[in-house]
Amino acid sequence: MDVRLSADNRPAEEPAPLRRSVLSSAAGRLARFAAAKAVRLALLLVSVATLSFVLVSFSPVDPIDAYLGPSILKVSPEQREVIAQRWGLDQPPVERFTRWAANLLQGDFGTSTIFNEPVLTVIVKRFTTSFWLMFAAWTVSGVLGFTLGLLAGAYPASPLDKTISFYAYLMASTPTFWVGMVLLTFFSVHLGWTPVHGAWPAGMAAHDVSLMQRIHHLILPAVTLSLIGVAQIALHTREKTIDVMRSEHALFAMAQGERPLAIVFCRTLRNVALPAVTLQFASLGELFGGAVLAEQVFAYPGLGKATVEAGFRGDVPLLLGLVIFSTVFVFTGNTVADLLYMIVDPRMRRNARKGDR
Amino acid sequence: MNSMHTFARRAGFAGVVLLLLVIGAFPALAQKDTLILAVGGENTEGYDPLLGWGNYGNPLFHSTLFKRDATLNIVPDLATKRQLSADKKVWTITIRDDVQFSDGTPLTAEDVAFTYNKGLEAGGKIDLSPLVKAEATDSRTVKLHLSQPDITFVQHLVTLGIVPRTQYGPAYGRNPVGSGPYKLVRWDEGQQLVVEANERYYGHKPQIKKLVFLFADEDAALAAARAGQVDVLGVPSNLAAQDIGGMRLHVVKSVDNRGLMFPVVPDEGRTTPSGAPIGNDVTADIAIRKAVNYALDRQALVAGVLDGFGRPAYGVVDDLPWDNPAVRFADNDPEKARAILEAAGWKDTDGDGIREKNGRKAEFTIIYNAKDSLRQGLALAASDMLRPVGIHAVPKGENWDRIKTRLTHSQVVVYGFGDHSPLEMYKLYHTPGPDPMYWNAGFYSNPVVDSHLENARSAESFEASIPHWQKAQWDSTTGFTVPGDAAWAWMVNLDHTYFVNKCLDVGTSQMEPHGHGWPITANIVEWTWTCD
Repeated sequence: MDVRLSADNRPAEEPAPLRRSVLSSAAGRLARFAAAKAVRLALLLVSVATLSFVLVSFSPVDPIDAYLGPSILKVSPEQREVIAQRWGLDQPPVERFTRWAANLLQGDFGTSTIFNEPVLTVIVKRFTTSFWLMFAAWTVSGVLGFTLGLLAGAYPASPLDKTISFYAYLMASTPTFWVGMVLLTFFSVHLGWTPVHGAWPAGMAAHDVSLMQRIHHLILPAVTLSLIGVAQIALHTREKTIDVMRSEHALFAMAQGERPLAIVFCRTLRNVALPAVTLQFASLGELFGGAVLAEQVFAYPGLGKATVEAGFRGDVPLLLGLVIFSTVFVFTGNTVADLLYMIVDPRMRRNARKGDR
Repeated sequence: MNSMHTFARRAGFAGVVLLLLVIGAFPALAQKDTLILAVGGENTEGYDPLLGWGNYGNPLFHSTLFKRDATLNIVPDLATKRQLSADKKVWTITIRDDVQFSDGTPLTAEDVAFTYNKGLEAGGKIDLSPLVKAEATDSRTVKLHLSQPDITFVQHLVTLGIVPRTQYGPAYGRNPVGSGPYKLVRWDEGQQLVVEANERYYGHKPQIKKLVFLFADEDAALAAARAGQVDVLGVPSNLAAQDIGGMRLHVVKSVDNRGLMFPVVPDEGRTTPSGAPIGNDVTADIAIRKAVNYALDRQALVAGVLDGFGRPAYGVVDDLPWDNPAVRFADNDPEKARAILEAAGWKDTDGDGIREKNGRKAEFTIIYNAKDSLRQGLALAASDMLRPVGIHAVPKGENWDRIKTRLTHSQVVVYGFGDHSPLEMYKLYHTPGPDPMYWNAGFYSNPVVDSHLENARSAESFEASIPHWQKAQWDSTTGFTVPGDAAWAWMVNLDHTYFVNKCLDVGTSQMEPHGHGWPITANIVEWTWTCD
């Protein structure tokens, strides 16, 4: 084992105790934090909305052609105009954008062209299905990834570490949909243990479905997502653990005869948790992307599937609604990460206070 | 004592969880009166006929005025008779008086008139534009006023599902009420559609009481079928040559065709209003188009590219009632192709195997949708078959949107068509209007063909229109098919392939149009379960 004393071991690595004075001004700081974040979110939304609209209007996909599909031959130019009117496509782009933005400010996201329903309704409906998939995958990959990272980092270069690292590197470079298809082929088709399709058994009504049946249908897509999500967290946690294990206080503990695992769990958890927490919350964007692919493979009727359809079939209002939704979703994740960072690491609080003055 | 109690409760809970897990692990068993179908095609915007649900026929939850039987003859459904006025602009239709919607309200001529009037302005996938207005003259009679004689309007009488005027509204597509053989019970978007037999249906009562349509990608649907969870599975023909336990292959003939579209006008620097170039100097020569038609070995295309699931195509409407059998010819005849080219002055003067005429090489690009492996196969095979007669055809995959908007008027393109209405033939071969659409992309125009097509459209009855449709194809002096102008080189008609549970008898399927999947349900009321 590498036991060299690192030159840059920092005393600040020592976890500082929570102090009363810190908590007293917490409310004020939180308010300022929230205000700054809100401004940033507003700016972000404006630019994302504008950029997406410009990109979509340059898209080569003709929304009317995409909507008509094979019916294109049954429809005359006159009928196309009727459709364009129904969707407001007969207006010039700038006018469409201003009208869309004005409606947006009033909470109206417009009507999805391919679902013929308000965009918000579509998003809420689909997100409720996706939520459980993402939540399950997110929790499992966080807990599992963190634990595996700690174990690997506690015993670097051991067979355990090699196995975990190999797995993590393998998964980090494997596409989600491929893992999904392999699992589907093996567990659903070959062994018949898990369902192939959908969020609950075919033919059943949503309200008759038991929790277990839902979980049964959730297992494979969630496992697919977590198998991949584990990799990032595990690798970063492993690096950090190795770092911390080289710090003075860890070495000191080791010199006193403590076992590496005990040191990791009792003395360094807080330090090691930092990258994991950041990654975990910052990974919401990736989770979103992964869910798109996993839902496609398992025909799981969530937001991911709706996104793919909206893209293929040129559903501009829904696409824009999804972009805004995912922006808020990912932004929230990052903000939570920032908040937790301040709670987990007292130095961040101190820095934040210094920065305020 | 207390802890014992807690322990017992926990153990009980664990037991329940375990039990549920075991129950949940069993797939839903397909029962005798419930079928699970994976034939694709979710109508994401809802099951609203006025927005296009069922526009290829049989809108399951709705009845139509007329319908097509297994041999595609038009037979009465809701209507008992129809009459065309002397000026051929007013259709008078009498409907049955014993029909109820699935919620019990009677279906009257008012509902029919409402359906047509509303459909005109709904802005969906149906195009009722020849209609001026519909009016109910009494509870059983409806008059449809057209702006001009148009016998192809009959297609709407066959496909447009009648909706109840009192219940129609923006949310109708998610909760359709109709008078068809089935009613929608539940639609879990992105996942499944559950339908049950409509006990108020006036026609032949279906034996299968419940249907579940699964919406899944090809791979997921195939996996579900392999896991024994599907009774009817639609697959592309390249996946048809396999065994799925408990299922048999059901092959349906179709007019879903593929062919080469030729630009028939020379390149004179013209462009469409959007700037796409028009014309191709090589394919503007009828000799080239005829030579391509004779040189192709269609039987080999069927065997090689379609794995035998199909039949050669000689026209756009093969084996439909308005098909003209006189347009068939002996293909796979490179000798004849060479003779035609020689006679037209296409000769290989520089010995590179490619013919020239006036310094121009017999050379063109065959464009196909790069995502479609079947079209790619056809383009590659056609290119190989043309090489020996001295035509250099270069296959090239392109993005579908680019094909439609930029390339289609100046390049040879692999297209697929095939409909249950001859209106398609009209659109493909009638002189295009000022606003070119991609159906007559090659700018084909022949005044004699135009007049045949117009006569057909303005015929006094559908039966009377058929000879005109046939003459447009070939009237023994001209026509758009190979004996005439050879405007296209049609290659193959696909077979549509399904895997069907061995215990299910799906009767005689209609010859299917372009597009695959739902049409198999056209005769669903005749399906029977043959095992116990």
